[in-house]
Amino acid sequence: MEDTGSLLSLRGITKQRLAPGARFELHIDELDIAAGERVALVGESGSGKSTLLDLVALASRPDSADTFTFQADTGAADVAGLWRDDASDALAVLRAQRVGYVPQTGGLFAFLSVFDNIDLPRRLLSLPNDGTVERLAERLGVADQLRKKPATLSVGQRQRVAIARALAHGPSIVLADEPTASVDPATADIVTDLLLEQTKEHGAALLLASHDWARVERLGLPRIAPDIARERTSEGVVVRSTFARLS
Amino acid sequence: MNRKPVPRDLGRIVALALADARHEWRATLCLVLALAAVLAPLLVLFGLRFGVVQTLTERLAGDPRNLEIVPIGAGRFDKAWFDAVKQWPEVAFVIPRTRAIAASMDLLKPGGPIVNVEMIPTAPGDPVLKDHLPYPSCTAGPDEDPRIVCAGEVHPRMQAGRSDPTDLAPARARDISVVLSASAARKAGGVAARDVIAGVVGRSVDGRQDNVRITVRVIAVLPEAAYIRDAVFVPLELLDATESFRDGFAEPALGAEGNTRPEGERLYAGFRLYGRTIYDIPRLRDRLLAEKTEVSTRAAEVEQLMSLDRNLGLLFWLIAGIGTAGFLLSLGVSLWGAVERKRRDLAILRLLGFRSRATVAFPVVQAAAVAVLGAALAMGVFAIVAGVINSHFAGSLGVGETACRLLPVHVAIAIGTTLICALAASALAGGRVARIDPSEGLREV
Repeated sequence: MEDTGSLLSLRGITKQRLAPGARFELHIDELDIAAGERVALVGESGSGKSTLLDLVALASRPDSADTFTFQADTGAADVAGLWRDDASDALAVLRAQRVGYVPQTGGLFAFLSVFDNIDLPRRLLSLPNDGTVERLAERLGVADQLRKKPATLSVGQRQRVAIARALAHGPSIVLADEPTASVDPATADIVTDLLLEQTKEHGAALLLASHDWARVERLGLPRIAPDIARERTSEGVVVRSTFARLS
Repeated sequence: MNRKPVPRDLGRIVALALADARHEWRATLCLVLALAAVLAPLLVLFGLRFGVVQTLTERLAGDPRNLEIVPIGAGRFDKAWFDAVKQWPEVAFVIPRTRAIAASMDLLKPGGPIVNVEMIPTAPGDPVLKDHLPYPSCTAGPDEDPRIVCAGEVHPRMQAGRSDPTDLAPARARDISVVLSASAARKAGGVAARDVIAGVVGRSVDGRQDNVRITVRVIAVLPEAAYIRDAVFVPLELLDATESFRDGFAEPALGAEGNTRPEGERLYAGFRLYGRTIYDIPRLRDRLLAEKTEVSTRAAEVEQLMSLDRNLGLLFWLIAGIGTAGFLLSLGVSLWGAVERKRRDLAILRLLGFRSRATVAFPVVQAAAVAVLGAALAMGVFAIVAGVINSHFAGSLGVGETACRLLPVHVAIAIGTTLICALAASALAGGRVARIDPSEGLREV
């Protein structure tokens, strides 16, 4: 374990995906995210935002990584090493303790009530039932829905519940993958604002992926964007997407 | 930075899996019904096979006729021979028989017709009488046969004669208890147990008819199925006495006068011999043939029935094998399919920090619930169907016989196999899902 000072530190990361007649390559030469920092991840659809998000969420194995550390209790966890060692249990523990994830659509469990959905990350860590769930629901405007099943909620309400779930266990970072892609613009504004406000309130870092450049512009967040290079080779099309902070 | 507790995912997963199974109760019900629909007929089929074969075997083994070895023609068997045969491990019961000509008696119930019946020697342990004798009221040790240990009217026997000097026509013999076959009892005018009737054996000496009348006490009447001919089961001594009497000798047991029976060992013309099990019969037959004793047995019929049973068994196992394979396959496939439907949920569970083994446990818990519910339902259906079958066939079954039944061990095997296969199929499917990176399951939909 080493201490680099930042919450996340990525150097020389690559991840490739293969499709018939095409190859997609994700590159991250250097990327740091500080504790509590809120960053927008912009780029057109198919540019690899979700792939980057999954890497940071410890849910996808990098093909290569010079450095990949994640700040934890005892210092910086060597994520690259954990993937190399196939230490999937250790990665799961890190996910459970440190990461909150807001998927593109819901990702709520249909068989649990709204309360139990939000509470699940807390139950997993045996955290006490101390009113956190109710407070979050209150702040996100779904306090009336706690006893319902997700199926009876609107898409916008489900995204709010997903945000509450991502924050419930006090993660170090919340990863949001186009959380407003499937809601109307007015709701999108509200949901985005809630996400920003709540991560700030809980002191969690935020990595918000969006293809909506204008909306991100308005938020005034620091941005990470891809530099996309397309190349025709004998094997087919190679798309090389290199992510870096925009200065 | 605050220290975080270690996740406890395995405990949570059980509750989550059951909550999901309850929420998707229609899908769960389909799986349970599908399982029960295949398992129940298999159970009925197996129950029928087991019940019928069991009943058949019990009948074969329980019917003394199948255990009997009958000598052909008259032989000469001495006491030493009987003592030796008694020691053979395959022999359950053996008793000498006197010449057939000397082994008949007229029975006479007061006011009833005279019936000529065959006298059959018997002794404690006789398989024909075994289950039909009245139990005495005395108690015996756990490994002792009360019919042998306890005194009283428990077995055909001769007791010390009651000499009543005031009786003008004193009984010329001692008190004899006997057992009658059903047809003999019927033909004698409806003799019942505890009746005291007269028995007459006669001889003609020098052209003069000499009848001896004895008193016999009927201690039991056999059911029709136990012995079909007209017969009275008597102690061997009575047959010995009758034989001597018919040969014209003096016989004190019958109060008859005549020449003194010459010294020398009595030789018997035949025997009643029973094997312990139906499997002993061929061996016993071969042993007797080896010492030049011609016998007839029902070994051939028994062997025929046993080979029929084997062939039926083969057919059964073929059908049951196909059924079981189909059952396990359909169970495995539907559980595999259930896991495939749950890929996204399982991926999200892993994204939330549930370890791979917890995501494997999720479908395994559900499969276990489905297996237990399905097996229980199948057992319920089996119980109903077996009840219907057994009551339908009740007429052709004896007491304690069933056409369709399973032992607890069969039930345990059925549930165990179902459970193991359900768990294996879902664990394999769950394991496959758990091996891929969580993000892949998330994005597939």
